[in-house]
Amino acid sequence: MKKVKKFFQYDNIGLLFAFPAFLYMLVFVGYPIISNIILSFQDVTMKNLVRGEKHFIWLQNYAELVRDSVFKKAFFNTLLFTVCCLAIQFVIGFALAVFFNKDFKVAKPVRGLLMMPWMIPITITALIFKFIFATDVGILNYILKSIGIISKNVEWLTQPDTAMAALICANVWIGIPFNMILISTGLTTIPKELYESASIDGANKLQTFIKITLPMLRSTIESVLILGFIYTFKVYDLVYVMTSGGPVNSTHMLSTYSYKLSFEMFQYSKGSAVANALLVVLLIVGSFYIRTTTKGEET
Amino acid sequence: MKLKRLTACITAAVITAGIMAGCGNSQSAESTTKAENTTKTESTTKAEESNKTEAANKEADNGNQEAEKVTIWYYWETEGHQVALDKVITDYNGQQSNYEVTAKYVPFADFKKQLSIGASASELPDMVIIDSPDHASYASMGIFADLTGKFDVNQYYEGAVNSCTIDGALYGVPFGVNCLSLYYNADMLEAAGCTPPTTWDETLETAKKLTKDNVTGLAFCCLQNEEGTFNFTPWLWSTGATSYEMGSEGGIKALTFLKNMVESGAMSKECINWTQGDVMNQFISGNAAMMVNGPWQIPTMQSEAPDLNWGVTLIPKDAEYASVLGGENYAVIADGNEAGALSFLEYATAEEQVKFMMNSFGYISADQSIAENQFEADSPYLPFVEQLKYAQPRGPLADWPSVSDAISLAFNKAMTGTATPEEAAAEAQTTIDGIVK
Repeated sequence: MKKVKKFFQYDNIGLLFAFPAFLYMLVFVGYPIISNIILSFQDVTMKNLVRGEKHFIWLQNYAELVRDSVFKKAFFNTLLFTVCCLAIQFVIGFALAVFFNKDFKVAKPVRGLLMMPWMIPITITALIFKFIFATDVGILNYILKSIGIISKNVEWLTQPDTAMAALICANVWIGIPFNMILISTGLTTIPKELYESASIDGANKLQTFIKITLPMLRSTIESVLILGFIYTFKVYDLVYVMTSGGPVNSTHMLSTYSYKLSFEMFQYSKGSAVANALLVVLLIVGSFYIRTTTKGEET
Repeated sequence: MKLKRLTACITAAVITAGIMAGCGNSQSAESTTKAENTTKTESTTKAEESNKTEAANKEADNGNQEAEKVTIWYYWETEGHQVALDKVITDYNGQQSNYEVTAKYVPFADFKKQLSIGASASELPDMVIIDSPDHASYASMGIFADLTGKFDVNQYYEGAVNSCTIDGALYGVPFGVNCLSLYYNADMLEAAGCTPPTTWDETLETAKKLTKDNVTGLAFCCLQNEEGTFNFTPWLWSTGATSYEMGSEGGIKALTFLKNMVESGAMSKECINWTQGDVMNQFISGNAAMMVNGPWQIPTMQSEAPDLNWGVTLIPKDAEYASVLGGENYAVIADGNEAGALSFLEYATAEEQVKFMMNSFGYISADQSIAENQFEADSPYLPFVEQLKYAQPRGPLADWPSVSDAISLAFNKAMTGTATPEEAAAEAQTTIDGIVK
């Protein structure tokens, strides 16, 4: 009895409150992950999915993937896509945030409107961009042609390089509001007094930006970048709708390739191995996120 | 550090909003729920109806039997298809009291996934209506009942029966068949002074003549998936090569033909992003003078573009005429209500029901005796009946999805110029050899 009483003193009671959430995580997050890892060590295809006879082949799926040129391409694509999207949307988002932080009349409503791309269902955005980038009937080619930048229609989505650029372009459009709104929030938390005293000291705009704005926003920037990375790295719907990984597998991401292996070619184990590769990268990045946020709380 | 906490809070809020937005809005999720809703309402009305019939039957024979349930999964998204199937089911439920059939719509893109998840969770329907090239894959999973000797398929087209036969055992019944043929815009051909092409050389020449301004000569779906492979195989088979001989002279020739069509501008490279439905839209809006497509487009074309003057003819040949057999098969699930499924199958494959469904679907009956007098003399479907004589099924092979993937990769490479036809063909052959030993 005494022991029980002691257990519930202080912080331990918190553990009890956390228990339902823990149970939920265990069933709906932990179980699928572990089951997926086991699956990736087996040789499950359509033939033995129902009949049982699932053999453990351990790392063979992974060994095959390392030799698989589409997997390598997909891995590289996912990284390229993520880095490009992050860099572009962060810079534009930052610029817009600073701009709308200025106190002018329509700043607030316009900033609200700019959130729209982020609110639209991704499937719809993807379909719209598919139309924009269409070769013969797309509005982009029409505009470029009428102002004389190109003379022949560019085959945006049917050439490997331009298809990737088109995907990045669409995703940046979606991602800018996310960056903008988070950085805007960060900006409002910087005390005005800092800028006032800096201007009294005779600092110019660039100096205040580098010496005050950036350092004060450090933790916000870290969060934005890491969360952005996680969001972008697991991209699926956008790619699936716009190119389905084509042309010629050139825009496959880890997520789309995993889907293709599992549900189009019925190689479930191989598909889950690809999904695990995705998981590992996200785990690493996720742990950085947890580290930076908890560090922030302690200071 | 209040500020940081504030930031964290807002971040959290934004994330939650994002997750919710993400969940609620994915199109497939929406369509699934929609589908579920419709099936729900359907099944409720059906349930009500069957309750009535049940009650009636109870009155009649002091019934002590309750109707056994039989569920069917299908993937037709066209409303006309759903309504037609629904009518047959309602009629069936009304004319007997042993079984109560309900049908559930599962989107095509999710069908394979749903069925394989259902198989591993032992939550399968009693019957499915599936795409014929997938039949062998599913049958090799062991989820289909062996119907050998339980259903008579003697009158059916051989190719269609082959698509549901594995190692001599019958694992399904063809629902209806279709194949691809060449549609042409008669007015455009006349204006250019051409006749419909019959050989590949003529095709290239005619298509080039027809190409001007916004019009391309020929269009057909070249997606890098099963749909694309479906449209490519008639060209491949026409050379005499089989699906497993991509590396042969015929395979290279077919790829080279496609490459030349695209490079000359007579065919848009965007065909690699067009579904068969997209191709049909290009055709009826006058952006393509000829297209390869199936008979199921005819009802839509007639209602969307009644003034368009078009004709259908055989797909131009290289060495021999060829086309690909498409369509759906019924399959009965092994551990389901087999007797009930077979009873419905007997009803649904009787001439009256078949004619009704085929005509509302724009399909051709897989039952040759019905197909031959299914259409009037001037019906636009007749050329497809003629083309059916040259149509072969894909596979049947459990690993067909992988073979299909290799083939579609090859023509995508050749069309985009990522590889020469020779390289693409050789690569596909290596992949196929690795699958078919």
